[in-house]
Amino acid sequence: MSAFIQIRDLAKSYTKGKVTITPLEGLTLDVEKGDFLALMGPSGSGKTTLLNLVAGIDTPTSGTLQIGDHDVAKLSRAQLAKWRSKHVGYIFQLYHLVPILSAFENVELPLLLSKMSKAERREKVNSALELVGLADRAHHRPTELSGGQEQRVAIARAIVHNPELLVADEPTGDLDRESADSILALLSSLADDHGKTIVMVTHDPKAAAAAKRTLHLEKGQLVTATAV
Amino acid sequence: MKLLALAIKNITRHRLRSLLTILGVAAGMFLFSAVETMQHSLETSTQSKANETTLVVYRENRFCPSTSRLPEHYGSTIERIPGVKEVIPIQIAVNNCGASLDVITFRGVPAETLKSYTADLEVLSGSFDAFAKRTDGALVGEHFAQRRGLKVGDTFEAVGVKVHVNGIIHSGSPQDNNVAYVHLPFLQQASRIGLGVVTQFNVKVESADQLESVAKAIDETFQSDQQPTRTRPEQAFFAETAKQMIELIGFTRWLGIGAVVAVLALLANAVLLVVRGRVKETAILQTLGFSRPAIGVLVAIEGIILGLTGGLLGVISSALFFHFKSFTLGNEGLTLALQASPEVHLKGLIVAFLMGLIASVFPAWKATARPLVNSLNS
Repeated sequence: MSAFIQIRDLAKSYTKGKVTITPLEGLTLDVEKGDFLALMGPSGSGKTTLLNLVAGIDTPTSGTLQIGDHDVAKLSRAQLAKWRSKHVGYIFQLYHLVPILSAFENVELPLLLSKMSKAERREKVNSALELVGLADRAHHRPTELSGGQEQRVAIARAIVHNPELLVADEPTGDLDRESADSILALLSSLADDHGKTIVMVTHDPKAAAAAKRTLHLEKGQLVTATAV
Repeated sequence: MKLLALAIKNITRHRLRSLLTILGVAAGMFLFSAVETMQHSLETSTQSKANETTLVVYRENRFCPSTSRLPEHYGSTIERIPGVKEVIPIQIAVNNCGASLDVITFRGVPAETLKSYTADLEVLSGSFDAFAKRTDGALVGEHFAQRRGLKVGDTFEAVGVKVHVNGIIHSGSPQDNNVAYVHLPFLQQASRIGLGVVTQFNVKVESADQLESVAKAIDETFQSDQQPTRTRPEQAFFAETAKQMIELIGFTRWLGIGAVVAVLALLANAVLLVVRGRVKETAILQTLGFSRPAIGVLVAIEGIILGLTGGLLGVISSALFFHFKSFTLGNEGLTLALQASPEVHLKGLIVAFLMGLIASVFPAWKATARPLVNSLNS
């Protein structure tokens, strides 16, 4: 049975002025469905570039990137947007909730693209908020929530449309230890109990320890893999 | 609908900025609606109600009612010309022959011919019979009455003529709503022109194809007289009399275009500022799966809401302004009531909508043109 994410000879390069930068070069990797993968490495190692490619918000220069049934590397910008709206949930380090919207409305955002009725959307948003333990904060605005709670809302927003893949860019990077542990426990539960495939970039070894596997990158290439 | 709710919330994010933009648009659209009201009023006054079987006989080389003087007995001579159906002598008295914003016009017409002169005349209050019985009675056009605050039973004096209001009238012809109809002999005496002298004759002919031949016959009949005539179809008479007014008001169209361009620039600037302030947030929405068209629609909705709200305010202000100020522009006896109309309001709103849409195109494109990763890192 083939892996959920199949990456073959993936490379990404871009030019800055007259200099060509290659943050990712010839990377090959498989990620199984339900895996919780942590990407570690020093700044400039290519881990965020890899995350962005997997999330479909950037396109590779060469190589193949097969996620589920989709050859993501070959999708156009419009096709990628559609694919993301169905298959990917993105969790940002700084949550990036829309400040004028309540927690409920923030979580509802990805569903605005679907043809769901208002009642269906309400049900899905409430379920997502319940899953992250914030059902009682549904009508609070981001400014009325703690950092940990904001990140939970962001996770609810990432899972509300039931994507198979969650990508998280330093999801605990801006949180205190207690909140970070609670977020990591939530991500583990999403992988274990709900079958989500999670790819997470982190600098924090404790965060990486929560994942099932940790990959170390350096200069755009895979260095070592650690299984938990 | 889902994006509309989001767009409305976005607009309320910077309330002062949105309010200032809306006020700016409202000011521009007020000017645009005012200019359009003038254009529309002129159009309806000079074109739509011209009767194709009516000729106007005026004194040759005269352009103002106070200088066009024709003997009333010309009427019986004209009646004998083949093709003529009816001749109505009319005395007109105006307070100002030049361009003015407050023109008062009396039209003296034989009471028995008034109804055939203005076929669709409707008495809104008072009665025609009361007018017919009273020599100094007047039937006052509704706009005239509104402008002067007149009601049935009032007495008022203008142009040295003192009349008693017997009725307020409405007519499908905009000109009739701006004047006061009085008895011909009364006006001839009160205006010191004297009995037996009129300003013009309105001549109804049997059919439209006889207009030219009858006009020629009338002018030839009186060409050797002391008061030679110039006879034109009513439509041509209006168009010629209103020529200066048309040129003056035609010029204001440029002001309207200027106002629209200013509104467009203001809206484009406002929407561009909105987009620039939300580069990262737009990228996040795209990361969540919002396509470029969806982001474009969201930006366009914001522009349209700003444009339409400002447009609505401007159009309403303009309508209220013309309603309460009741301006009547006049030149050479032709009156033009500046009145807002539903067509002008609708045009104003359509223009505001289009300006909002056009002003959003470039900002919407700019909002989504950058690579997503660059916007997220900005």
